[in-house]
Amino acid sequence: MSRHAPRPSQLVLFALFTLVSALVLGLPAGDSVRAQQAESSAAAKEAQRLAADPNAPGPIQPIPFSHKLHAGQFQIECLYCHSGTDKSRMAGVPSVESCMGCHSQFGGDLEGVQKLQEHWKTQTPIEWVQIHRLPEHVKFRHNRHVAAGLDCQTCHGPVQELHKLYLVPDTKWVNGMPAEKLKMGWCMDCHWSKNASTDCLTCHH
Amino acid sequence: MPELDRRDFLKLVGAGAGAAAAAGCSEPVHKLIPYVIQPETITPGIPVYYASTCRECPAACGIHVKTREGRPIKLEGNPAHPVNQGALCARGQASIGRTYHPDRFAGPMQRGADGTLAPISWDQALDLLAGKLRDGAGKAWIVGADRGPTANDVIDRFVAGAGLGGRIVYEPFAPESLRAATQAVFGVDAEPLFDLSKADLVISFGGDVLETGSAPAEHARQLAEARDVAAKEHGGARFVYVGPRLSMTAGNADEWIVAKPGTEGILALALAKAAIAAGAGSESGRAAIAELAGGIDAATAAARTGVDAKTIERLGAALAKAKAPLALPPSAGLTSARAVATAGAVLALNQLLGAVGNTLQIPASGSAKGASYKELLALVDAMKSGQVSVLLVHDADPLHSMPASSGFGEALAKVPFVVSFASSIDQTSNVAQLVLPDLTALESWGDAAPRAGVRSLQQPTIAGLFDGRALPDVLLETGRKISADVAAKLPAGDFRSVLETAWSDTAWRDALARGGVFTEVAAAGTPGLAGGLAKLEVAEPRLDGDGPFTLLAHPSPLLYDGRGANLPWLQEVPDPVSKITWQSWAELGIEAAAKLGVVTGDVVVVETGTGRAELPAWVRGGLRDDVVAIAVGQGHTVGRYASKENDGRPGEIRGVNVTALLPTLTDEAGGRAWLCTTAKVTPAGRKERVAFAQYTDNKRKRDLGETVTLASLLGAAGHGEAAAAGHDGAHEGGHGAHHEIKLPYDEADDAAEGALHRWGMAIDLDRCTGCSACVAACYIENNIPVVGEEQVLRGRIQSWLRIERFVTEGEVDFKGGRPARESHESLGNVDVRHSPMLCQQCGAAPCEPVCPVIATYHNHEGLNGMVYNRCIGTRYCANNCPYKVRKFNWYDYDLKMFPEPLPLMLNPDVTVRGQGVMEKCTFCVQRIELARQGAKNEKRAIRDGEVTTACAQACPTHAITFGNMKDAESVVAKKSGDEKRGYHALHSLNTRPAVTYLAKVTRGSVEG
Repeated sequence: MSRHAPRPSQLVLFALFTLVSALVLGLPAGDSVRAQQAESSAAAKEAQRLAADPNAPGPIQPIPFSHKLHAGQFQIECLYCHSGTDKSRMAGVPSVESCMGCHSQFGGDLEGVQKLQEHWKTQTPIEWVQIHRLPEHVKFRHNRHVAAGLDCQTCHGPVQELHKLYLVPDTKWVNGMPAEKLKMGWCMDCHWSKNASTDCLTCHH
Repeated sequence: MPELDRRDFLKLVGAGAGAAAAAGCSEPVHKLIPYVIQPETITPGIPVYYASTCRECPAACGIHVKTREGRPIKLEGNPAHPVNQGALCARGQASIGRTYHPDRFAGPMQRGADGTLAPISWDQALDLLAGKLRDGAGKAWIVGADRGPTANDVIDRFVAGAGLGGRIVYEPFAPESLRAATQAVFGVDAEPLFDLSKADLVISFGGDVLETGSAPAEHARQLAEARDVAAKEHGGARFVYVGPRLSMTAGNADEWIVAKPGTEGILALALAKAAIAAGAGSESGRAAIAELAGGIDAATAAARTGVDAKTIERLGAALAKAKAPLALPPSAGLTSARAVATAGAVLALNQLLGAVGNTLQIPASGSAKGASYKELLALVDAMKSGQVSVLLVHDADPLHSMPASSGFGEALAKVPFVVSFASSIDQTSNVAQLVLPDLTALESWGDAAPRAGVRSLQQPTIAGLFDGRALPDVLLETGRKISADVAAKLPAGDFRSVLETAWSDTAWRDALARGGVFTEVAAAGTPGLAGGLAKLEVAEPRLDGDGPFTLLAHPSPLLYDGRGANLPWLQEVPDPVSKITWQSWAELGIEAAAKLGVVTGDVVVVETGTGRAELPAWVRGGLRDDVVAIAVGQGHTVGRYASKENDGRPGEIRGVNVTALLPTLTDEAGGRAWLCTTAKVTPAGRKERVAFAQYTDNKRKRDLGETVTLASLLGAAGHGEAAAAGHDGAHEGGHGAHHEIKLPYDEADDAAEGALHRWGMAIDLDRCTGCSACVAACYIENNIPVVGEEQVLRGRIQSWLRIERFVTEGEVDFKGGRPARESHESLGNVDVRHSPMLCQQCGAAPCEPVCPVIATYHNHEGLNGMVYNRCIGTRYCANNCPYKVRKFNWYDYDLKMFPEPLPLMLNPDVTVRGQGVMEKCTFCVQRIELARQGAKNEKRAIRDGEVTTACAQACPTHAITFGNMKDAESVVAKKSGDEKRGYHALHSLNTRPAVTYLAKVTRGSVEG
């Protein structure tokens, strides 16, 4: 789980804000009323610029999404968008619809959100570039690692501090050997130290 | 830094090499593409199951469709469905491939002037069809298989509304003669229902109920129940098979009576007379038999059927003595010009023995319109004389399955507008003017009502992969295009709403979830005999020609009538009897072959009055010497796998289409007669390699496919002595009289101390029928590549699970090299042992110590692990495996054999193995891991029965049990502890297998 799990009060406030703004502004939803939305903060604009920074490490994503803004500043819980990660072996990646849950209301003046709204309008999926990838012969189970109480950051790095995501390098020394992040020695080090299964068949079948 | 050892040194060197390579080329970009709108029911990574109905044959088994991320990836039987109760045969398992078949039509096609198909829009296509139907009123016909009551109703209303000539139901193996016989004997136009589970003596007159009957999965389960040695007294039901060929069903019998083909009716009446002589039957039953039998008695029947009079008298007495006997009528292969009389005689025998109302139910009322060969032949005549302007063909490939002698091909050429609804290419669509691709069973709505009390629903589990449309929807739309008049006569809305309306008397959502509505039907009682009996004339059938052989064209257990031929798994799963893959073969008796000077693999010419075929011979003892047997189903000119297109030889025909050899003969009621001709067989003077998956039926007296006699099993006292007397000769030589089939150790010991599980399996050979449902299930579950004919010929078949078929104990024979195939079968001998062979997950596995990279190892739960990413392909393990269950990937088979979109059906939980990697049965470790995760999440232990392997799940007879050997209360531990029947394959090698086989019980011949 994220270290930055929002307090319940924050979620309630967030929901209330959504509701009130919808009522006050009389927003039905959708992009037709983008003009009436409040202008995004300078921080949001800056976050978007940095998320698309070609000089920063990591691939350019189709939409300049900033994890630092969402998970860091807004403190939205990881599982809020990546739902199902605690239930399935595969991590949930948010659908366009779930992004639009908020962004039909906010950020319509940002280029990235406009791209998102275009995806929604044309009902086409977003093709993200995968950053954390295991080979096909590894059957990693997200749900078991969430259940074991591991932070998402353990493998995915300090995403709440990154505007543009990349595979933050981490190399452990395992038995006197360097073990690169997401390589088998790196996994094994943790499995050994936490007394988790080290049977080959647990992950390879 | 500590001192480097060899492994670490290699790793460092490897890392340097990797870095150098990485600098040279960039990483491929992998995309992560989430949903636009994620369906509520779908969580990526978690399977969703839908209940539906299998449409491979008229049995209409219930299925659960396992879907992942919206894609069906596996079919399993629906345990709530009364027909199959959770099992699913090989054909059903493989049918998932229809949806992802690379031969599917991308959309509607029209044949242009140059003879090739070109795409056309649905609008244009339906306008075209509507126009043709408008002009050709009364001269248009629709032909196809039964599509279920609601769709049939839509078709019928379309036929009536649009003024078509009519609808003809076409099913090549439809039991028309049995239906006609039931009408004649009991006055009900329906197919009788058999309940083998209640019987104590089953006698099958050529009825291959375990492979291609009306509901093979159901009948196999019933027979296993009736013969359960643990639950039933005296070893359970006895099973006698009458027929010319040792079919798969015959191999499961206690006794095989080798009667002349076509004389089953005569034998049935002779048996009835003998039973009467032994005191069986009521007055009316006796009178009926007397009326039907005329002069037939044991002595005359002996001369006519080839079964000696003593046997007839003995069996007659046994039938009279039996409390719940059941006689089964012949299957399609033995339907002759006298098929109705034959089936009638068998039904009369049942009536005499009091089986009706008990082991055999006559439905109270007639069934819906069934297949009619007579109507179809009349239509062929009309087509020939130009009276048919439009022919619609759905769910059938008559150009392949109709006898060439019927002239169907020429007749079809005279129809100006042929419309095919095939979803992928077949021979009929290959000549059609318009192709309107149907959706597959996994993509469309439907229902089935195979019998009273069973209403089965079929629902789509994936949107159409291609631009196809379901047949009933196409008809509804075409009707609306023809005219408002026609539209008014059709139901409103699309077919889904029509279906929902038809099911409005049920709780729709509940029915969808359960797979249908299943109700208990009160037994119909025992109908009296109808007057039609007197008209039946039981006699030898007329056969065309005067050749020395009778041609037996029997349904293929896997390809059926040929509909399975384009599914690569059904081509590669070996035929349960011959173990031949991808080919056609002619079966010849040993003496007949000797007279012809032919051995297995020699090509013979089979010639009848209507055609000739050249195909390799398989010489076997399990066939009468005056019969040549060829399976129906091969001989396709089109289809990637059905023809030789995928072998790089497009246009070449795979095997032989036996229907080309058959005259167009019908039974008394007009049904199709498959047993219709004699044949001449001559050697062609050349050889062909036969793609055997198993080269010998000689078990060389090894501990494989063991049997135990019923006498020794029942003799509870003096175990050792009884066993010595009971076990077949194999052990008498080497081990002396004290040999026992007993477990030399406790399998549970082979897991690490403290481990919760030692996974194990028990395989009951007394229940295994050899049907190969498990083999097909294993292929689909574990992404096993299909390798094709050429690779099978090189001995590279990739299946993790095979059914070994041995006959008798065999003899020790250590001739070098691959033995010439010599059959250990002999006429009347049913000592056939089907023995599933898979990785034994040995406690002391010979494969493990020879692996130089520890890619195969023993895990703490006793599993013999195989780590693909470690394997470097030395193949030492396979060489050292005494069971020969390890398979090597000589190629990236999926590239050649698995074109798009077939990879969509791969199981995402199982790694696809690449070239150069060894693979083998894993005990479905992905299923074990799934159950373990579930149990861990709920903080409990895995329950018994929570994990089962794909093979055990598919088995119709529950021959395979999987579970935890460490739990003494588990079913598998109890079954494996069977001291009288349990043994380990090749146990003298002390490999300590986790698989315990329970020896097949030989019950001996039936006593009078």
